Formats: sequence, structure tokens, C-alpha cells
Amino acid sequence: MSESYDYLFKFLVIGSAGTGKSCLLHQFIESKFKEDSSHTIGVEFGSKVVPVSGKQVKLQIWDTAGQERFKSVTRSYYRGAAGALLVYDVTRRDSFNALANWLADARSLASPNIVVLLVGNKSDLESQREVTFLEASRFAQENELMFLETSAKSGQNVVEAFSKCAKAIVTKIESGELDPDRIGSGIQYGNLKPTRNSASAATGRSCPCKV
Amino acid sequence: MAAPRAQPEADCSDDSSQDWSIVSTVPDKYGFFGQEHVQTNHPPVPREVVLSREKKWLRMLSNWDYFMQEKHSKLRKRCRKGIPHSLRPRAWQFLCGAQALQDKHKVLYQSLTEQPGDPKCLDDIKKDLHRQFPQHEMFCSENGVGQQELFLVLKAFSVLDPEVGYCQAQAPLAAFLLMHMPTEQAFWCLVSVCHKYLNGYYSHGMQQIQIDGDILFGLLKKVAPQVYRHLKRQKIEPVLYMTEWFLCAYTRTLPWSTVLRVWDMFLFEGVKVLFKVGLVLLKGSLQPRLKRCPTMYETLEAIRQPPPGLLEEEALVQHMLRLKLTEEDFQKEHSRQVAKRQKRLQH
Repeated sequence: MSESYDYLFKFLVIGSAGTGKSCLLHQFIESKFKEDSSHTIGVEFGSKVVPVSGKQVKLQIWDTAGQERFKSVTRSYYRGAAGALLVYDVTRRDSFNALANWLADARSLASPNIVVLLVGNKSDLESQREVTFLEASRFAQENELMFLETSAKSGQNVVEAFSKCAKAIVTKIESGELDPDRIGSGIQYGNLKPTRNSASAATGRSCPCKV
Repeated sequence: MAAPRAQPEADCSDDSSQDWSIVSTVPDKYGFFGQEHVQTNHPPVPREVVLSREKKWLRMLSNWDYFMQEKHSKLRKRCRKGIPHSLRPRAWQFLCGAQALQDKHKVLYQSLTEQPGDPKCLDDIKKDLHRQFPQHEMFCSENGVGQQELFLVLKAFSVLDPEVGYCQAQAPLAAFLLMHMPTEQAFWCLVSVCHKYLNGYYSHGMQQIQIDGDILFGLLKKVAPQVYRHLKRQKIEPVLYMTEWFLCAYTRTLPWSTVLRVWDMFLFEGVKVLFKVGLVLLKGSLQPRLKRCPTMYETLEAIRQPPPGLLEEEALVQHMLRLKLTEEDFQKEHSRQVAKRQKRLQH
């Protein structure tokens, strides 16, 4: 509880089973690859403060079980998420084909305005690739998603994925497109200033009271 | 997969200041590498006691129907004291009725493993084989015997019960059973647990686990009203903390010796044992720390890190036995939650 931050965002990590969601979260928080991990049953969570556009943003990340039947259980923690990483495995076409379903769930259960970043994980397994970068970026474009390929194993683009998604949310707050005060926005103010009133007026200036 | 490493878990609990954990580089007596062990305040069970218990259990196992029908409370008492480790696998097979199932369907297991099975199911199973207890000597090597057996057991189940097929939460159960007995026996125990004890947990929709979550929460109100109010105020739904506990029957939650004691009781007394463990965990993890849990996040973190002393086998069992809950309390809460859910579905 000692860390200071301007905002707290609720994040989801969703996608089919075995795409590496928990390993992405672990790599992001611990900066190392979880070699012998077990699969998630129900939900796991973690948090980390990252610097984003001159602000300190605490990401509270919910990592979900990937198997289809867990959706009826996991839907209760979709509610009020501000951002999501939508993960598929570049070496498994079926995980890519399932994306539309996952995306529909995120938008209907969390919020229609949820900021989603598409993540093609396991980019280190180039020889086993089944989904091309081009194909995935087309899907991202059609569905208005940001897109990155990552490797939870090597760490490539992992921090970037979380930061990029967080940055998009900060930008939307500053432009007034997202209202943190709206119920279920998935955004909370932190213990640093500026608070409430100055949030939308703070466009273009860095936090004046940063310690 | 990399060789198992001895690595201390992150120190995450403020209650772990005492010297309660030791990290080893050789597998422990349960077959795990690099595990932490709860240092117990209770002296180990003396050898004479173990021998005398073994004698008693041998007598019971050779006269099972009589004890099951006539000596119910004696059997319950002995399960609560803990089944001698040497006889555990056999006792479990009798307790859960797996032995009877196997006797009745002599060649079924073999024929189930020989059928082709649903490709989607098999694919899902294969994705999880290397992810079950990777620190255990039986499951740590890719395509090792343990992983092959795990595949057979899960596949056989999915063929036997295509409606359930394969649920990811079944893999830890199957692996846990395989650590104690051969594949065919483990399979029938799995069938018994999934069909008799935890029926409805693993099917599509997973309704039953949600109902049981609500029942757990309802019972918490009776056992620890303060904790109940705290969780209610922070709008923490039961599925957020109890899904893995119940679906995996604590095999991924408790120290190993405690898991075994819980299973000794679970297989005799049934699912209410899972409720009792859950209530002890919730109360013991939160009651003393409510002030340190201002938001949902700290609360869930606290639930995830119970005070280590609470998890020690004898302590946990004693806490469970001290809970003031009657059979009627369970029944009443169950009817209440089922009615509530039906009402909600109608609207």
C-alpha cells in the first residue's frame, strides 16, 4: 500500500487456454519467465505501478482461466475493467479463431468502451508460427484494437503491451473521452495529485505535485 | 522443461517472520522438489500409534461392509485422526466406492482408453499435461510416465462422460490421485469424486460451483459475521476466492500433509468438508487482518496468504471440528441458495 500513483486501472488478461496469459502477467510483474507454471483455475491477479505519459499508473490485473466453460464463473470479474489484453498464441490457429468471441465478451461484460490490445504471444517460436503478423494486424484494424506480438519467454514487448494499453486509457482520460468518475469505468484516482477536478484539465502539463 | 529448481517462494506474508519454512533440493517424502514445509508445533505421531492405527485400518479394510454399515461413527473418527499413510490409497478407494465401481466394471477402463475420444477434448488435455504439479518428481519430465498416465486417465473420463468431457480443474485431481495409486484405480476414484462428491462442478455452465459459493458465503455469516460483512461491503463474490479451492478439492491450496488429512475426511464425510476448510481459511485469514484490507485487492491477497500456522494439518483439522455447524445448517443454507437462484433465473 505504500506505493504512490495517479490512477488505478482495472485490467483483464483474456484469451484461450494455453496461450500464455499467466506467463505474460508473471513476466510483466516479476520480469522473468515462469518455467514450470500450472494453469489458472478461476482467477489470479497481480498489480504493478508503471510510468505512463508522466503519470504513475497502478495496473490491477486480473488473469482468467482460458477454458470456455469457465466463462460463466469468470464473467463476474469482467465488470468494470478499463483495459484488456486479448491474447492468442501465434503457433495455434484455433486460439486466433476464438478472438471474436473473447472480444464480444469483453465489450458486453466489461464495458463497450474497454480499451483492448491484441497480443500475439509466443513470438519466439517462429518456426511453429501459424498466424502471420499481417493477418493479425488486419484483424486488429477491423476491430479497432491495438496490436503487438510478444514473447513471455524472452520478455519481448511484454512491458510495452501493458504500457501501451494503459497509455491509450490515459490519453482518453485527458481528452475527456473517458470519464473516470463514471460508475464502472474501471478507473480510480490514486493518492497522488492532481485529483478529481484537475484530471480533465490537466491536458498537456505534467503533474505539478509529483514528489 | 527445465529441471526442477529449489527456489524459495516469494516472501509474501507478514506472518511468516518465524522460521517455519525450509527449502530442500531433494524431493521430500511426498515427491516434491523445493517445497516449503510448515514447521509443526505438534509432535509427530509416535511409531507405536502409527502401528496400532495400521492394525485397526487393516482390520477395517478386510471387513469393510460391516464397518461402513455398523460402525459409521468409529470410521468417521478414524478418518478425522488421519489414515496411516501406508494404507491411504487402499482406504481411499474403499471410502469413495472406487473399489466397488472397479469390481463392477472390470474391463471398462481398458476399453475406454482404447477408444479414439473427442479430438477437441484430447487437444485440451494435452495442453495441460505438463502443467500439473511440475515440481513433483512424477510429473516434472515432459512426456514422462506420470504425464502419459495422466493423459490416459483424463481421456478415459472424457470418453465415459462425454457431456462433461474434460474440465481443466480435473487435471490436478487426476494427478493427485495418480501420485497414490495405479491408473485404473486413480480413474475410478476420479469418476467417483466427479460424479458422486462434486457432481455438476465440471460440466459446461458450472452452475453447481456457483451455488456452492453462495452456500459457503451464507454459512460464513453464521461462523464469522464480521468477515461476512467485510466481504459483502467490498462486493467480493465467492467465485473470486473459492473456485480453485472447491474445484480442485484444495490440492493446489494447502500444504501437502494437510491436503492428505483433508482428503481422509472428505472421502468419508463428503463435500461439507470442503465447506468447513473454506470457512476456516476465510475466518483465519481475514478476521485478524480486516483493518489491513481497505479494498477488495488487499482482501483477496490476504485470503490467498493465510497465516501459515493455520494451514498446519492438526491445527486446520481442529479448527474445522470446532466450527459450530450442524447438518441442518448445511441443509437449510443449501435450500435457501437453490431457491434464490431459481427465483433469479425466473426474472
